Amino acid sequence: MKGPVLAALAFLLIVVGSAITLRVYRGNKEFKVFLGAFAAAVLGYAIAFPLTPPDLGVLPAGWLEPASGVDFVNGLLLLALVFHGFWCFAYFACLSPSMGVMVELRARAERGISAEEALAMHGREQPVNLIFQRRLPKLVQGGYVREEGDAYRLLPRGGRIAALGAFLKRLINSEAPVAGSRTC
Amino acid sequence: MLKGMILAGLLIATWAVVQGVVFQLRAPQKAFASMVAWFAPMAPAYVLLYLLTPPDLGFLPERFARAAPALGLLNGLALLVLLFLTGVLFYYHADRSITVRLLIELARAPQQRLSLDQLQTVCGVEVLMQDRLDTMTMNGFLVRRDGRYHLAPKGRLGGLGGTMARRVLTMKTL
Repeated sequence: MKGPVLAALAFLLIVVGSAITLRVYRGNKEFKVFLGAFAAAVLGYAIAFPLTPPDLGVLPAGWLEPASGVDFVNGLLLLALVFHGFWCFAYFACLSPSMGVMVELRARAERGISAEEALAMHGREQPVNLIFQRRLPKLVQGGYVREEGDAYRLLPRGGRIAALGAFLKRLINSEAPVAGSRTC
Repeated sequence: MLKGMILAGLLIATWAVVQGVVFQLRAPQKAFASMVAWFAPMAPAYVLLYLLTPPDLGFLPERFARAAPALGLLNGLALLVLLFLTGVLFYYHADRSITVRLLIELARAPQQRLSLDQLQTVCGVEVLMQDRLDTMTMNGFLVRRDGRYHLAPKGRLGGLGGTMARRVLTMKTL
């Protein structure tokens, strides 16, 4: 049980550390903040595990895992899974267009929102709407696509991601023609 | 603990295969509800398997089979749920990622090249937003009255969570 307890502490550090770092971070590659926090937490976990007593000074005898290797791997696995969930939640909560609508609707209270207003929120009137303003520069900088005049060409690196994405979509039958399947 | 971890791994693999077959055969309208429905029997199955199998599962070395049974059971159950949630998140990565969709559209285009206008036509805000509004309405987050969208109780909860998360995690939308 020592592994899960240390993992819980490490996760707490991830949440607090990434929240503080995001307040001072000026770039637009927030994933680096999350990955940095995770790497620091894993390092801290790996250092703290052998240095602390098996019962952490507080755990009852019945809660101890006799095989410390299993305890260590178990804690690390739990930490990785919870971190992945937190990372996804953070991106969904802060950047998802769907969440954007719910947050906006909450602020508007009873006024509601029309489809036109929801579209305007995401910059439909702008030459490059907000959905693309965030993503296209990153794809260019990352070497996934190349800008050619007013067009974009896929590069081999982007092609590999597209192939993987298409494979995963086939696995989950994502493009089947049902209500709820997505055009984008 | 290892016994619970192994059983959780086996059951989540079973669920992933079953769910994959369900997606291929039915393409359910409500994917999350389908995933929850097919995962639900895995939790009691795990408990049953844990109680009915020997501590060493018949092959584990003795040193890996000495943990307190209740601890192993609960740890494996927590792991099973976390693995399920991770599976659900992977589903949404594959299904909803706008960036991946952009790359797929480019891969499908002649000479793997599209103008900004073409990209916005196949994957722009109009296409995406209407789809998301329809999906949120279908899933009970929004209700439509007099041509306008309003928050349903589920959506209010989601909006509250999002508002709080945005205050704590200050990520830029651009």
